[in-house]
Amino acid sequence: MITLDDVRVAVPAIRRGDPEKVLLDDVTLDLAEHRIAVVGANGSGKSTLLRLLNGLRTPTHGTVRVHGHDTVADGKRVRALVGFIFTDPLMQLLMSTPVEDIELSLRSVVPGRSGRMARARELLDERGIGHVAHQSIYDLSGGERQLVALTSVLAVEPSIIVADEPTTLLDLRNRSALEGVFARLEQQVIFSTHDLDFARIADRVLVVDGGRVVADDEPAPALAHYVRLMA
Amino acid sequence: MNVHASLLGLYQPQDGWLFRLGAGWKYLLLLALTIPALVLWQWWFTLASLVLVLALLGSSGITVRRALNIGSMLWILLAILAVYQVVTLRFDQAVTSPGNVLLAVLASRMLTLTTSTPDLLDALAAGLRPLRWVRVDPDQVALAVAIMVRSIPFLLGSFAEVRDAARARGRDGNVLSLIVPAVVGAVAYAQSTGEALHARGVVERGSVDSADPPGRGSVRG
Repeated sequence: MITLDDVRVAVPAIRRGDPEKVLLDDVTLDLAEHRIAVVGANGSGKSTLLRLLNGLRTPTHGTVRVHGHDTVADGKRVRALVGFIFTDPLMQLLMSTPVEDIELSLRSVVPGRSGRMARARELLDERGIGHVAHQSIYDLSGGERQLVALTSVLAVEPSIIVADEPTTLLDLRNRSALEGVFARLEQQVIFSTHDLDFARIADRVLVVDGGRVVADDEPAPALAHYVRLMA
Repeated sequence: MNVHASLLGLYQPQDGWLFRLGAGWKYLLLLALTIPALVLWQWWFTLASLVLVLALLGSSGITVRRALNIGSMLWILLAILAVYQVVTLRFDQAVTSPGNVLLAVLASRMLTLTTSTPDLLDALAAGLRPLRWVRVDPDQVALAVAIMVRSIPFLLGSFAEVRDAARARGRDGNVLSLIVPAVVGAVAYAQSTGEALHARGVVERGSVDSADPPGRGSVRG
């Protein structure tokens, strides 16, 4: 369960004397559903909202709590609970090959390098991408990269997955594959997307506009609201 | 960007003796191959060292073609170095200057082509352990080096993209139009990498193998 209480995020203006830029304002939410989608136009505040959930961004006002842990005061614990998937997996993969990247994730939980490498290969096999274990991350397809990023995040068994537009760089086949993976995950998944069909797999949809949550409902009415907003 | 054509190459597990040799020994071998050539600065010694490093790589199944696949940018740089020395009539320097650069690159590739990043990371962290006395965390330094190695192909690829974009707009003659976007891109990339480290909690969680709790002795403020 994630709770946001009267959250505001603002950044100072570039020019002195100008008002601060508000990225998100007046956000109070309890996020408990298994699948939650966040939709909104570019620059509406979707990414800011998601980044609040694992402490990548801290609120200027208000609090964000994950299973009761404050994202500011207890950031380390929160990041252990919340795995974050970026839009571009290439930005998230820190090592040169998939098996090495997952080994890096496992360093905090599995002792011994050989044990970690074996576990990393197992995890890649389970995900159906064992054949790319020693390939360069730069030589993988977008879908393979996204699956490696997801495997790397899941390796440390977080209880919540937050994904910022995970389908944006994927073709139709890889998007469908990712939808299947998300559907099978036991963890709570909160994701942002521009893909309204993908958003329909959620139990709840939040519509963000101008830094505010303007609709919060089941997929059909929330997405209808969003389509009207964008018309 | 094909990483195989990048400066340091990519580790692919094989059976050769260099693959089985401990990373620490390979670091020593790297120094033993490069330092004498740099100290002596003789064209014949540089050539002999180049042949030796290629022979060592070949003895572990890495072909001359793969060993020398260091990317066109570096070959151009080496050629410029050689031509400059020839123009200034220092013919022996035309071999030693680019030859020693190539030797250092090939000796480094001997390490990176035959050692997985986790092995490199652990060996480097072990070698840097005395730095704990000056409050430097060796695990974090080793991680920084590993990320640097992974970033080289990205940065080279991003420079090539900027060059193509400038060429498409007919501005490839303007050096500033190449440098500024490349630098801005590199800064954005560094920021993204920092965010990824933060999001994945890699630094703060540390390693279960580490003797000290994560963060202790760190250079972080």
